[in-house]
Amino acid sequence: MNNEHNTDNNHLTIKQYLKIGLLLTVITFLELIISYIDIGFLLVPILLILSGVKFVIVVAYFMHLKFEDILISKIFTFAFVLASCILLALVSLFIYDPSISNR
Amino acid sequence: MSEQIHSVTGIDSRKLLMWIFLASDCLFFGALISTYLIFKGNIPNPPYPTDRIVNGEFFHGLLNIPLTSASTFVLLMSSVAMVLAVYGAQNNNLKMMKGWLLSTIVLGIAFLLFQVYEFRHFLHEGLGLSTNQFGASFYLMTGFHGVHVGIGVIILISLLFGSFRRNSLGKETGFHIETAGLYWHFVDIVWIIIFTIVYLMPY
Repeated sequence: MNNEHNTDNNHLTIKQYLKIGLLLTVITFLELIISYIDIGFLLVPILLILSGVKFVIVVAYFMHLKFEDILISKIFTFAFVLASCILLALVSLFIYDPSISNR
Repeated sequence: MSEQIHSVTGIDSRKLLMWIFLASDCLFFGALISTYLIFKGNIPNPPYPTDRIVNGEFFHGLLNIPLTSASTFVLLMSSVAMVLAVYGAQNNNLKMMKGWLLSTIVLGIAFLLFQVYEFRHFLHEGLGLSTNQFGASFYLMTGFHGVHVGIGVIILISLLFGSFRRNSLGKETGFHIETAGLYWHFVDIVWIIIFTIVYLMPY
């Protein structure tokens, strides 16, 4: 068995998995550095984009969603989008009416 | 049991069930993160998560970003170890699977120890579950995630002990490792979101 070659069972090689691990580490380090720099209103969008990239990489390549049946992708994406919408709705509601949190 | 259990969709029912469970867990964590964000800006009494000046008095923030960055790195590396364990299982490489499974368990326990240290430090600083909204929502969210990691570690330990009784890997074992891997990576992606929203964002 040659571990460096793709077989039917494997979606990626060991080297590719290690490269992804390295990329995730670099992004985390970058997030940490950016959180200490004063870049004003850009901080939140940049951090969200970087963590979104990490999220997609882990889901697509480590959880193999990229190679799975489209139904699984639909189920997971639907739940994630729904959870994000609930989060946005709740946070927006409390931002626009802070008195709600004091009740 | 050696045959795959297929549903009408053509996907193994057990794998489909795991994905549906993870999808439902997304909603659970979504609600917990929302609660934390709502309460974070509305804390009536100290301690506070970040540095704050209230009525002219300065309060040090509790969150320790360098420490949590280290624990985040540990959890990320555990995900890499888990994917290599799955690789070993899928290639019938028992030694590789055992080695990386053990590494994942060790890294998972290390992450939990980081969390125990953080919780003890926060308690020492006066932040209890009922001290303020920050304490309640923070302990609930990160504690719930910690319980997920703990359950994952128990599952991986049981799979590792099971593998010691075998000389080779069957198709079923590979499947169990892959399914446990899905759960473990999910725990990792939830922490990616919690780390960014709770620790790195100032507001």
